[in-house]
Amino acid sequence: MLEEHVHSVSELNRKARGLLEKNLGSVWLKGEISGLTRAPSGHLYFTLKDATSEISAVRFKDRSALLPPPQLQTGEEILAWGRLTIYEPRGRYQFIVSLIQPAGLGALQLNFERLKETLKKEGLFDAAHKKPIPPFPHRIGVITSPTGAAIRDILSTIERRWPLIEVFLFPSVVQGDTAAGELISALAYAEAFNSTQAPLDLLIVGRGGGSLEDLAAFNDERVAWAMFACPIPIVSAVGHEIDFTIADFVADLRAPTPSAAAELVTPSRTEQLGFLSTWTTRTLRHLEILLDRRTRRLESGLKGYIFQIPIRKVERLSQDLDLRLGELLRRTGEAWKKRHREATRLDGFLRLCDPTLPFQRGYCLTFRLGTPTPLRDTASIAPGQRIKTRLQKGSFISQVEEVTTG
Amino acid sequence: MKIDEALKKLEQITKQLEENDLPLEKALGLFEEGLSLATAIKSDLDQAKLKIQQVMKKAEGVFSVEDFDLQ
Repeated sequence: MLEEHVHSVSELNRKARGLLEKNLGSVWLKGEISGLTRAPSGHLYFTLKDATSEISAVRFKDRSALLPPPQLQTGEEILAWGRLTIYEPRGRYQFIVSLIQPAGLGALQLNFERLKETLKKEGLFDAAHKKPIPPFPHRIGVITSPTGAAIRDILSTIERRWPLIEVFLFPSVVQGDTAAGELISALAYAEAFNSTQAPLDLLIVGRGGGSLEDLAAFNDERVAWAMFACPIPIVSAVGHEIDFTIADFVADLRAPTPSAAAELVTPSRTEQLGFLSTWTTRTLRHLEILLDRRTRRLESGLKGYIFQIPIRKVERLSQDLDLRLGELLRRTGEAWKKRHREATRLDGFLRLCDPTLPFQRGYCLTFRLGTPTPLRDTASIAPGQRIKTRLQKGSFISQVEEVTTG
Repeated sequence: MKIDEALKKLEQITKQLEENDLPLEKALGLFEEGLSLATAIKSDLDQAKLKIQQVMKKAEGVFSVEDFDLQ
């Protein structure tokens, strides 16, 4: 007897589901909506039917964040992009919808979705290929029409935000039959210009918003590949917020409008000026703290001080400091003058009083053994006496052999 | 020095100035350096004027670069 494998129900459903998903993949489906239910979770359940047949369909919430949630109505005919699967617990097969559009939308939209899907599979939209946009661009190339609103918006935004930039306009028609070809050629000569004339930090490629027909060149497959191959980082700047084009997906950075593109790639002059204008005040405050701390430390170091520093030297060095400080203060305003003058003079003076300073230079101190007063005159010393000498590091004891009167 | 390099340098100076136990001489020197950088950057920013040029391709590898005026 032949041993037949006996399936469990779940096993069969799982197998059937695998077969279905593997062999059919994603498809476009046209049908009329009936039995529309909006579940509390936000998922939409409905049936798609034609004259003789029907299939249950579900559109999960946020399937595609790129499109607004569809306003579906019973009886409406739609085009749905999705995949067929089996809901195993019920053994029911189901169409899972990822995109919905009115059936009347036409070939252009369909082509757009197909091309998007294809290029996505080819890896043109992969994050791994996105080039970083330099934070401080010096030269920006712009590919757009020299007469459109886009170039005007881009230039006025750059001028307002960061006018230290050199803008190079590579003119191209952005609408009509020749637009795709011109965009590709502008990309090519911007590249040539970049490698032979002046390196460009980035390119802005764009135009104002428009209908799907108007934007056709930015949904062109050849343009997409040309942008993908371009070695210069590209910021796409097409349309007004809601229009997404293939160019937006290929670009290294997508901006919703031409002005937004200019804004995204430029630092803000206002911010930097703000930073600069508070820099001086902040830094002076910090220096002041530094001075205070130092002064306190030196004041406490002064106790137990045993030397007399030649007063002329103090004066000269103190004057040096004053000169430097005076120069600084002329530039930073009278208000600080008094405080810093006092603080710095005190600091300079106290620093010169640092009892370890002569030691650092190689001077030493000599005492008659057992006395606390340093020797200043040979009159108080005779051959045979023992003396102690203190150096910067350590001290030693020696015996006087000969005395010469100075 | 390019402006972004100047800004970066100023940032470094600011960071150094914030170090504890920085000798006063050094702090004053850094402050002076920072001040002249800040002044230079500010004047660059104040005086900057956007430069716009239109690039046209004349032949393979030959470009014409002209000032572009929006009118």
